[in-house]
Amino acid sequence: MTQPFLSIRNLRKAFGAITAVHDVTLDIPRGEFLTFLGPSGSGKSTTLYAIAGFQDPSSGDVLLEGKSLLAVPSHKRNIGMVFQRYTLFPHLTVAENVAFPLRVRRRPEAEVKKKVADMLALVRLESFATRLPGALSGGQQQRVALARALAYDPPILLMDEPLSALDKKLREEIQAEIRRIHRETGVTILYVTHDQEEALHLSDRIALFRDGRIEQTGSGEDLYLRPATDFVAGFIGNSNFLAAEHLDTSDGTATIRLADGSVISGVRANGTFGRGEKTRLMIRPEAFGMERSPASAELNVEIVDVAFYGERRRIVARTAAGEGVDIRPTSAAMQSQDASPCSRQVFFDPAAAFLFPA
Amino acid sequence: MSVETRRNFGTVRLPAGFNGLLPALVLIVLFFVIPVLALLLRSVTEPEPGLQNYAALLGDGTYARVFFNTFLVASVVTIVTVLVAFPVAWMLAIMPSALASIVFGVIILSMWTNLLTRTYAWMVLLQRTGVINRTLIAAGVIDQPLPLINNLTGVTIGMVYIMLPFMILPLVGTLRAIDPMTLRAAALCGASPFQAFRRILLPLSLPGIAAGGLMVFVMSLGYFVTPALLGGTSNMMLAEMIAQMIQSLLNWGLGSAAAFILLVVTMALYALQLRLVGARRMSGGI
Repeated sequence: MTQPFLSIRNLRKAFGAITAVHDVTLDIPRGEFLTFLGPSGSGKSTTLYAIAGFQDPSSGDVLLEGKSLLAVPSHKRNIGMVFQRYTLFPHLTVAENVAFPLRVRRRPEAEVKKKVADMLALVRLESFATRLPGALSGGQQQRVALARALAYDPPILLMDEPLSALDKKLREEIQAEIRRIHRETGVTILYVTHDQEEALHLSDRIALFRDGRIEQTGSGEDLYLRPATDFVAGFIGNSNFLAAEHLDTSDGTATIRLADGSVISGVRANGTFGRGEKTRLMIRPEAFGMERSPASAELNVEIVDVAFYGERRRIVARTAAGEGVDIRPTSAAMQSQDASPCSRQVFFDPAAAFLFPA
Repeated sequence: MSVETRRNFGTVRLPAGFNGLLPALVLIVLFFVIPVLALLLRSVTEPEPGLQNYAALLGDGTYARVFFNTFLVASVVTIVTVLVAFPVAWMLAIMPSALASIVFGVIILSMWTNLLTRTYAWMVLLQRTGVINRTLIAAGVIDQPLPLINNLTGVTIGMVYIMLPFMILPLVGTLRAIDPMTLRAAALCGASPFQAFRRILLPLSLPGIAAGGLMVFVMSLGYFVTPALLGGTSNMMLAEMIAQMIQSLLNWGLGSAAAFILLVVTMALYALQLRLVGARRMSGGI
């Protein structure tokens, strides 16, 4: 029997006239690291809160191993959660914070002691056991929160933008911790973030939210390399959209005409288009090369500015039709003498370009 | 370094900005310190020098009863006030701010209403033939009027009503500083609503309860009007006794001694609270 571990069924949540979540359906296998990615107000946090039991959905269901969670109050759901803000109990020491979920479960003292020690070792804060949360840095507090959320071996760990209050360096450090802890404990993690890099870096799978619906679910690579919609393409990574007229489609690849009149064939069509229909062609900035290769298509651009970004250069260019193009070749692929403003051809693989409805 | 050390030996070090504080200090000395010293002096000189006033107050059963009664009333009032104020303060802390400011307005308005008016209003409500008793008899809940006035019940009701704002205001401040997410976190950790209250909300609100509770207790110790009007003769409080000693018996010495004992007890309580709160701060707590 293939019953999913955690299952979200047609979840809908309305606040008065505003519908925050329209219709979310998702199956999550045990042990997966799934990220809800999306802009603010896209319904990702509301979905997470419905799983936590902070908000009752207007309709739909949340099933854990086939049993509905909706009738179970938060404190009996046995779910771990790390919040955006540090929600440690300020009057309890680090060790007491981690022990709290075990104490309210009335576990024997010896077990509590051992578990607290294990958890503090897991987040590498053994030497901070007797400190109060106020004496810890933001990153340390979030690690304690993580230890507290995992202390009672919850089947699911919810994380609501846990790193958004931290600076970049700390964020990367704790991302690595979270990955390690996920590997070591095998806990199923549902992670909410609006930071696409964080989502790509951490997750097994990403559910991209938009306006209360899931736009696409898949691995980071799926979303990046095979975006289902122009919203996905625009949200994950950087992208250029060029106006294009659809000429013909066969076997999923299309032939189009760009605004400057050049005809390109072999681009991937996301959808079915009529002849002469207005469409948009999406090309990733790093898909452009400076050298011609047998399969490549070409684009005439005027280079406006070139900036050096270490491993890559960032070129601001314009097509003959006046559309801005962002090009990011590797630094090695382009000599610095090419950097002066000029008109030239850049090349791209049509198979890495996607056609979307206008 | 050595220069400064030498200077410290020579002169008393005054805090910076001391000169600016002088007018306030003069005021305090003139109107607070000197009268209190005069009071102390009276209590050990009238009718003749010696500690006989204190001996009489602390040795006599009647006076001891008044002291006991004063502490009993102040304790009961403080406890009941905390119990009533906590839910109100919590509601105010989590309610939308526009609505909260209206409720605050109502609470403050009651503070601005004349104390005597409010106390007489309670007399009208609590009398044997008062509104409450008549309503309850008419509704068939009771046969005989409840003794709600001229006893501890009346004093407690009247004083809790007057003390509530002094408890609610500091408590709201403390409760508002508690992140509601902390309670959600406690719930997800497996804490039942009662456990979350007992282990998280209550400890976190203790500073507010302590501050408000001390204020209410100290104010209750020296309260005069409400106990005089709503209380009975058998449970007289200290302030009433002092008034009687000075107004009716013209015994300034005994009255001063009683007032001074009240002052010392009050200050001792205040010092105790400072120590408790101070110790908590030192340990890095709330």
